[in-house]
Amino acid sequence: MNEYYTVKRIDNSRLMRSADPKRVRDWCRIVTFGSILAAGGLLYAWQHFQCLQLGYQLEELKAERGQAAEFNLRLKLEGAALKSPERIDAIARHTLGLSVPVPGQVAPVYGAAEGVLAQARAGAGEGSTR
Amino acid sequence: MEQRTPRIRMVVVAVVAVLWMGAVATRLSYLQLFCYTEYLARAQRQQQRIIEISPKRGVLYDRNLRELAMSIAVDSLFAVPSEIADAGMVARLLSGVLEMPADEMETKMKSSRSFVWIARKLAPERAQRIAAMNLRGIYFQKESRRFYPKRELAAHVLGYVDIDEKGLAGMEYALDKQIRPKAGRLMILADGRRRWYDRSEQAGDAGASVVLTLDEKIQYIVEKELATAVKETRAQAGTIVVQDPNSGEILAVANWPTFNPNAPGESSLEAHMNRAVAATYEPGSTFKVVPVAAALEEGLTRPEEIMDCQMGAIYIAGHRIRDHKPFGLLSVAQVVERSSDVGAIKLGLRLGAPKFYQYIRGFGFGQATGIELPGETRGLLKRVESWTPASVGAISMGQEVGVTSVQMVSAFSAIANGGLLYRPRIVRELRRGSQALPTDTAAPTRIISARTAATLRRIFEGAVLEGTGNLARLDGYTAGGKTGTAQKIDAASGTYSLTQHIASFVGFAPVNTPAVTVLVMLDSPAGLYHGGEVAAPVFKRVAEQVLAYLDVPQDLPVVPGQQLALKRGERAARPDVSDFDPGQVELAGADGGLPLLRPEPAKSSAWHSAQTVALAEGAGVVVPRLGGLTVRGVTEQCTKLGLNPVLIGTGVAVEQNPGPGVSVRPGSRITVRFARSGADGARGSAE
Repeated sequence: MNEYYTVKRIDNSRLMRSADPKRVRDWCRIVTFGSILAAGGLLYAWQHFQCLQLGYQLEELKAERGQAAEFNLRLKLEGAALKSPERIDAIARHTLGLSVPVPGQVAPVYGAAEGVLAQARAGAGEGSTR
Repeated sequence: MEQRTPRIRMVVVAVVAVLWMGAVATRLSYLQLFCYTEYLARAQRQQQRIIEISPKRGVLYDRNLRELAMSIAVDSLFAVPSEIADAGMVARLLSGVLEMPADEMETKMKSSRSFVWIARKLAPERAQRIAAMNLRGIYFQKESRRFYPKRELAAHVLGYVDIDEKGLAGMEYALDKQIRPKAGRLMILADGRRRWYDRSEQAGDAGASVVLTLDEKIQYIVEKELATAVKETRAQAGTIVVQDPNSGEILAVANWPTFNPNAPGESSLEAHMNRAVAATYEPGSTFKVVPVAAALEEGLTRPEEIMDCQMGAIYIAGHRIRDHKPFGLLSVAQVVERSSDVGAIKLGLRLGAPKFYQYIRGFGFGQATGIELPGETRGLLKRVESWTPASVGAISMGQEVGVTSVQMVSAFSAIANGGLLYRPRIVRELRRGSQALPTDTAAPTRIISARTAATLRRIFEGAVLEGTGNLARLDGYTAGGKTGTAQKIDAASGTYSLTQHIASFVGFAPVNTPAVTVLVMLDSPAGLYHGGEVAAPVFKRVAEQVLAYLDVPQDLPVVPGQQLALKRGERAARPDVSDFDPGQVELAGADGGLPLLRPEPAKSSAWHSAQTVALAEGAGVVVPRLGGLTVRGVTEQCTKLGLNPVLIGTGVAVEQNPGPGVSVRPGSRITVRFARSGADGARGSAE
């Protein structure tokens, strides 16, 4: 008996495999969890390095603060030296020509309250030059 | 066959992946579990550094919180010998800056050690010059160094420290434990470039700061006057102590010779001695305060009692003691005013040795006062069991007894404040940060009654007005005090020297409400040597300036023109006040009020007479009339007006100072005397 080989053109291009909903759900779940894990890992790494950077900045600021505190102390020391009574006395006497008043030469006077003085000014009349 | 090929590939890939992950996991497990300790230690060695941090030593302040001693960080120079290529050249370069021998430095730089100090605690300019050289192997390290910005001011009280900031003298030594800091530790984490990125700190303990009772301005006044006095009298040494009699606080202590605590090695050890507490001297006539006070307190005499001073000579146990003048009949008050040894000896004999000894100890002599300054001596006082028959006589006139300046000034403060002996204090408080630490303040001891003290104040006022202390009379203030002139013991012969004396004056002012007690002691003045001649004028200069600085209200009127005439008669070294230019005085206020002085440089010396100028100080308080009010009424009135009442006696007010109508600064002290015999109207103290 003769066998006949028949070529039959079968066009399967319009065939589509139907998606398996269960598998789609599984893949979505895997991708989501994977993304979360990856994001978590990235976040951990980011905050770790950010912490290091902030640590650097903090140490720089602390060093600056320490230097400022030292400078402040130096200024206090310099101020204390400049306020030395011996120095002030020498400047007052030799540079400014001041001298110590004799007893009774400077009489402390306790003036009236400013409110009373203002009234006195107003009561002096217009054109007063004082 | 073709279907089996992809499956085989997948299996192969899977097996390779599993093997690879297994290898990684195995290695990680090995490193994390078995090598953990080793790698942790290596990481710590690389990243961690431990630095010792030392907080600053406590600051020493005066009573107004002005810095007298403080520490700052300075650079210290060290070398790492292994990094220095040419030690000789480096040593030569550094020796020019440091002024140290180059060979000495070269030896250090060639040593086998990894760290050698070259110079510690350098001055900033030297450190900058060395840093600019940029020498390899030469580094700086910060260390704390002590500075005394006011130089010699209060040097004996402050003391000084060594290179490691350990106290060696003065308060630096006495309070070293409290003001010395405790070191802490700083653990830092550094990366590969040695940049720090984390730290943990074990904080140290900063030293406590000390607020002294000294007032910087009063201290300067006192030191200046002492230096002038020593120069004028060519004395070998001198001491001035200023004390607040109402609290025992020492406002100033000056000694000469002095030194600069920034460079203590440049002065002799003798200059470092705090004579106010460590030197004993025979007080001479100033010690008469004890027998007179004791006799008055015991009721054995009265100020008006007439005593026969036997024309200035008395025999005690075969020894003849002579007065400096042949006094005849003197009242007890005059015995003090004119400083009769015979009169004082008679009072001492009347007391008897045991009672006399009891009062001497009661006044604080023969024992340490308890002041916080180191090196205090008790003075010299034999136990009464060891007294000879002549001891009462000798001690009555201030011989055969040794006192310190602080003991003597405290005794007179007890007279000034009404009979209470306060422990002299130099430390006001200790502070950590802004918090004051609790301090132990001993209560005062009553040694004589207020009445006896008031009587003594009048007697000592007489000594200034009419007695040997005439040159201590103050302008504008009442004052009381006693002169003293004592022969020193000649070390060679063991007898009293005829040429060397201790000249002293102790006094207080004002008399009614003493604000300060001042002691002046000059050791071996050349030429004039009596206390009334050399020490009393110094008391006057010091007391006037200190009272003016403290704004103590004057209780005597002052006539400026007369004062200027007095000033013109004095030596040229005194302040010249003739340079106030009247053109600088201007009227102020619409009511044609008071002239105000603007301090400007002197323009001419055409001013010929002193003029009182008024200094506007702001709103004051007018003192009310308090006559006839009870103690409670006076207290209420004064409290309402913001005045500080000092109440003497009981009953109704009969006398007040300042008087009614006087304008004073808020918070000023007002003294009111009460009596039970009925009010005779309030009067001011000037009447």
